[in-house]
Amino acid sequence: MVNFTVDQIRALMDKPTNIRNMSVIAHVDHGKSTLTDSLVSKAGIIAAKNAGDVRFTDTRDDEKERGITIKSTAISMYFEVDKEEVSAIKQKTDGNEFLINLIDSPGHVDFSSEVTAALRVTDGALVVVDCVEGVCVQTETVLRQALTERIKPVVIINKVDRALLELQVSKEDLFQSFSRTIESVNVIIATYNDEALGDVQVAPEKGTVAFGSGLHGWAFTLRQFAARYSKKFGVDKDKMMAKLWGDNFFNPATKKWTTKGTTDDGKTLERAFNMFILDPIFKIFKATMDFQKDQLFSMLEKLDVKLLPDERDLEGKALLKVAMRKFLPAGDSLLDMIVIHLPSPQTAQRYRVETLYEGPMDDESAIGIRDCDPKAPLVLYVSKMVPTSDKGRFYAFGRVFSGTVKAGPKIRIQGPNYVPGKKDDLFVKSVQRTVLMMGRYVEPIEDCPAGNIVGLVGVDQFLLKSGTLTSSETAHNMKVMKFSVSPVVRVAVEVKNAADLPKLVEGLKRLTKSDPCVQAWIEETGEHIVAGAGELHLEICLKDLEEDHAGVPLKKSDPVVGYCETVQTESSMVALSKSQNKHNRLYAKASPLEEELSKDIESGKITPRDDFKIRARVLADEYGWDVTDARKIWCFGPDTTGPNLLVDVTKGVQYLNEIKDSCVAAFQWATKEGVCAEEKMRGVRVNILDVTLHTDAIHRGGGQIIPTCRRVTYAACLLAQPGLQEPVYLVEIQCPENGIGGIYSVLNRRRGQVFSEEQRPGTPMFTVKAYLPVMESFGFNADLRQATSGQAFPQSVFDHWELMSGSPLDKGSKIEELVKSIRTRKGLKPDIPTLDMYYDKL
Amino acid sequence: MATATPAAPLTSAFSNDGADIIHQHVSVASQIFDDTPTRSAGALDQAYEIDRTVDHIISRDYHTIALQFPDELLHNSVLVHRLLRTRLPDRELYVLADTSYGSCCVDEVAAQHVNADVVVHYGHACLSPTARLPVIYVFGKRNIDIDHCVHSLLVSAGSSFDNNPSRSIIVRYDVSYAYSIDAIVQALRGQLDPSHRLLVPSVRRFHTSGPGDDSYATTPFHDGEDAVNPVVFYVGRESLSLTNLIVTHAACQVYNYDPEVMSASVASARTNKILMRRYALVQRARDADVFGIIVGTLAVASYLPLMTHLRKLLAKSEKKSYTISVGKLNPAKLANFAEIECFVLVACPENSLIDSKNFFRPIITPYELEIALNSEPSWSNRYLLDFQQVLSEASQRPDPPDTQKLKDEEDEDEDEDEEPMFSLTTGKFRKAKKFSVGHPDPSLDDQPGALQLRSRSDALQGYIPDAGGQFLAERTFRGLDRRLGQDAPGLLEEGRSGIAKGYEDGHRA
Repeated sequence: MVNFTVDQIRALMDKPTNIRNMSVIAHVDHGKSTLTDSLVSKAGIIAAKNAGDVRFTDTRDDEKERGITIKSTAISMYFEVDKEEVSAIKQKTDGNEFLINLIDSPGHVDFSSEVTAALRVTDGALVVVDCVEGVCVQTETVLRQALTERIKPVVIINKVDRALLELQVSKEDLFQSFSRTIESVNVIIATYNDEALGDVQVAPEKGTVAFGSGLHGWAFTLRQFAARYSKKFGVDKDKMMAKLWGDNFFNPATKKWTTKGTTDDGKTLERAFNMFILDPIFKIFKATMDFQKDQLFSMLEKLDVKLLPDERDLEGKALLKVAMRKFLPAGDSLLDMIVIHLPSPQTAQRYRVETLYEGPMDDESAIGIRDCDPKAPLVLYVSKMVPTSDKGRFYAFGRVFSGTVKAGPKIRIQGPNYVPGKKDDLFVKSVQRTVLMMGRYVEPIEDCPAGNIVGLVGVDQFLLKSGTLTSSETAHNMKVMKFSVSPVVRVAVEVKNAADLPKLVEGLKRLTKSDPCVQAWIEETGEHIVAGAGELHLEICLKDLEEDHAGVPLKKSDPVVGYCETVQTESSMVALSKSQNKHNRLYAKASPLEEELSKDIESGKITPRDDFKIRARVLADEYGWDVTDARKIWCFGPDTTGPNLLVDVTKGVQYLNEIKDSCVAAFQWATKEGVCAEEKMRGVRVNILDVTLHTDAIHRGGGQIIPTCRRVTYAACLLAQPGLQEPVYLVEIQCPENGIGGIYSVLNRRRGQVFSEEQRPGTPMFTVKAYLPVMESFGFNADLRQATSGQAFPQSVFDHWELMSGSPLDKGSKIEELVKSIRTRKGLKPDIPTLDMYYDKL
Repeated sequence: MATATPAAPLTSAFSNDGADIIHQHVSVASQIFDDTPTRSAGALDQAYEIDRTVDHIISRDYHTIALQFPDELLHNSVLVHRLLRTRLPDRELYVLADTSYGSCCVDEVAAQHVNADVVVHYGHACLSPTARLPVIYVFGKRNIDIDHCVHSLLVSAGSSFDNNPSRSIIVRYDVSYAYSIDAIVQALRGQLDPSHRLLVPSVRRFHTSGPGDDSYATTPFHDGEDAVNPVVFYVGRESLSLTNLIVTHAACQVYNYDPEVMSASVASARTNKILMRRYALVQRARDADVFGIIVGTLAVASYLPLMTHLRKLLAKSEKKSYTISVGKLNPAKLANFAEIECFVLVACPENSLIDSKNFFRPIITPYELEIALNSEPSWSNRYLLDFQQVLSEASQRPDPPDTQKLKDEEDEDEDEDEEPMFSLTTGKFRKAKKFSVGHPDPSLDDQPGALQLRSRSDALQGYIPDAGGQFLAERTFRGLDRRLGQDAPGLLEEGRSGIAKGYEDGHRA
């Protein structure tokens, strides 16, 4: 039934011009997996009549049960394209056979990290937009991610059948709705315009927008209709396409094209799109739904669509589905759009190399990537781990950017912390097998040349989540993926039976591997913490952990939120701490960092690895820092990269450079466990104002300085009105008008703040956007569904850290209570340490 | 000779002027020895058990006797010394004070300074078996209301007998109640169903005959292993001993009775919390490559074999180990060893569990180290603090294959030991640095820090066996710059005089 063989695919792999690596991205429930079925069925992997129901790329049981995609799934397919169409391809091609490596990604915001991992290994993206709901928050997120990765988008407006059947819109309304959706997509594209990528605005007349229904298995682009009509009108296909969209009208009386909606004598003309494209579709719909089968059959005959005898017996929607699928098969139109408009690896890697590779653009690896050269040194990026049937083992899933990967030769496995020339995070091992990822199953292949997506066996134990594989000793890493979500929701897990503990530890390791975003660690209190992007994400992770990875019964705590400690003003006086031997004194003050600066540090715009002079200039120009101060940033913290800064503003202190290492170590320690609740610190700048040191080196060693520097940091924070920051979600809720009241009441109860409420033109749907503290988000979905009788569906994504009002030092305040509860949970003394524990009198 | 050991002050480093040790307040816990008001010879005689001590010394014919007092009893040392002197005119008596480690341990080293034959140890003791000398223990006698004690213990433990009426009971106690334990056990027997088994560690004699005599050693759990899930009663106030007890008896319910406030309570409620914290420390130890073995005792028997064992264990796992002795621990002293990533404290059980947030690096016990170095991260309710048990367990375990040897034998297949570990503290992979002692790569000796390529295939090989050098390489400050010829010569100035401990011209910081 599958109409291609692995050999055919393998042969095509050597022709990078005829490969298309693409991901399907969209908001949740806009129909990615359903639409993917059309292509899978065209490749003969599933039967055409099942397309739209099977959701072939949803491989897990819970994906099927819940009807949402959780993991991204890759599938390689072989297609032959009409020889005629090949001429439309603007990039270099070789023959009419194409290999499409497609990755279906999840749409729920909680699984955005899966999308990021999918985008990294693809060059093009099929953006699916629901024609009723329009561009939603996740559409925007994934599109933005795609563009920053230099991935070219094409759009399909899906669920057109809904507009016709449920909303019963008129042709002109439908056209307006289409153009509005396309416009909002283009607005996003324009915001993230990247010159290297070129003009990627989508337009139906260029063929980069398709319309269709994944569920019914039909879709069209203007190209298909242009092909039909170009002969009739004797116009060139491309010209015809332009005429079929926008303000182009055909006057049947004069047989003339015009751009005005009215004729000279005042008659309104029908838009060409409505007349030539929507009209036949509307007629088929009407005829079928009104049970006028004769009319339908005669229409289909005119359109050259032949139905089988048993198909003619069908009625209603089933008949409509068959008719439309025969008339406008979704697989064909999507395939055309993908092959013609998405770049091949050879085209794409030329402009993507700069954003992909960390090293210099003229080394052998960079050149190999740029040229997509299978004979260059190997450079392969592993973007995620896919569980195998063998428990605890994973396929390393990635893309060969340069060279050829095969089993046997030793290659260098470089983890994310690898630094060229050092041997940290580096392993030299060989790949055991290479496989082709085919959705639910894999096919072994002998080797895999540049430009292809591949699964590797035998390297999973050396990589946690992602990494670079190379054969070049000089190769740098591929850039680490930036996720749009962060793991802000945590639970503590415990084994029910102490003997199962080793299994839990192993399970946590496997869980961390299997998901690009989830984190697992152990707290000082001995609790095993699992952190995820949201409630749903955590729920899935814990289920996997319990049933798959660990396979032992677990106890789970209620979800908790990680807070950040910060300061709200400058220290009211200079903090002083003396070392234990009383011979060294550190004087410091803490002050808040600009929120923008904290964000820039977190997003990696300002890093500890920057050249200090350039960084100082940026800090001076953008944040009004004193240049001399900015040049003397000793370190970032915690983990040497966090959004807290230790700055040396001393003047002429002897031996100061000697204690720098000790201070850096102490600052990492202090910022990791803040003074109030031992949560991470964020947005604090600590200035070392003055230092007195003992003249003998032995008395100013690390032993004296590290504890002192930690104490002075704490004292300075306590003097600077400490505060707590809590994570806040951006929630987008779509619901009909009568549900708005319910949304507001739920949000009010949960400290939510609505900042936008819009009606989507042409629909009764409202979109409400609000900020909601993560703390208050547990059970929000269920609550909301109840309050709006199931009509509202929220999407929450971490947006920012927000300062909570008040200070933990205010006795009896809410925030003090909160800090005390955190401290109790951690098994600390409930009272916040007082200043005199850290502040020494002169 | 009043004090024998070099002073290692309690709370400060070695380098101050000694002012705080003079101003330090020692709480004089006179309650143990109910004598302070009278100070009459008779009362002292009673409290310090002079008769028994003298009898024992005479019967064993000890000649040189060291008297070890804890800080809070030091004020009575002169009186006790006088009392003993009058009774033992022809023997040499020395008073030891200011112990190097915990005052619960017998300070054998100090005693050996005077070549003592026997140590008389006053006050609270951890009863760890000694390595060299016989000991006479004088615990003191605290008041206890036996009936109230038995009654409240049984009331608070009542529920645990509901479904298993014949559970065994282990009775443990603070040593200062040792004198009344027989009466307590008697009273318990009277109140309980005869089906209960009462297990009482037998402290009959208040002295040991010589090295290795562990008749005081606390009865370990396995004595009662045939009894299912025993209940533990502890008589005494909340102290380190109780913490040790609940940690080592994690599987049992522990009830304690505090005779001072006269109340009984469930002590094992916090067991889980304590064990969890220790578990987190073990996880941090798994991530460490450079270990420091801290000598925390010089008296507990078999501390030397244990340290040798630890060193071997670390070498076998290709970890670097340093052995350090710093007297009493404090954060400043340990932070001086910045390259050490984890400390292993070899000390008497009562001083082993250090749980202070102020230390820069984790401090673990020998048993925890064994777990941490185990490839399987197992962690059960079992917990050992006793050296003997740790050692005997280790010898029973089949020797883990020597990685060094394995590597030599099957050079080809080094996949296993090179795999990165999943670190639970960071949630990331980490690759252990390896410090193999036996086989340093000769080519590396002359250029440490260099990345070496192995000739066969293109596998990387060659580890730097020098932890200190590696650490130094990571520091930004590596010593003074020799700016030869770049600065103008300075004028001669008069410097300070004296030694670093305290300069003659004081500190003008």
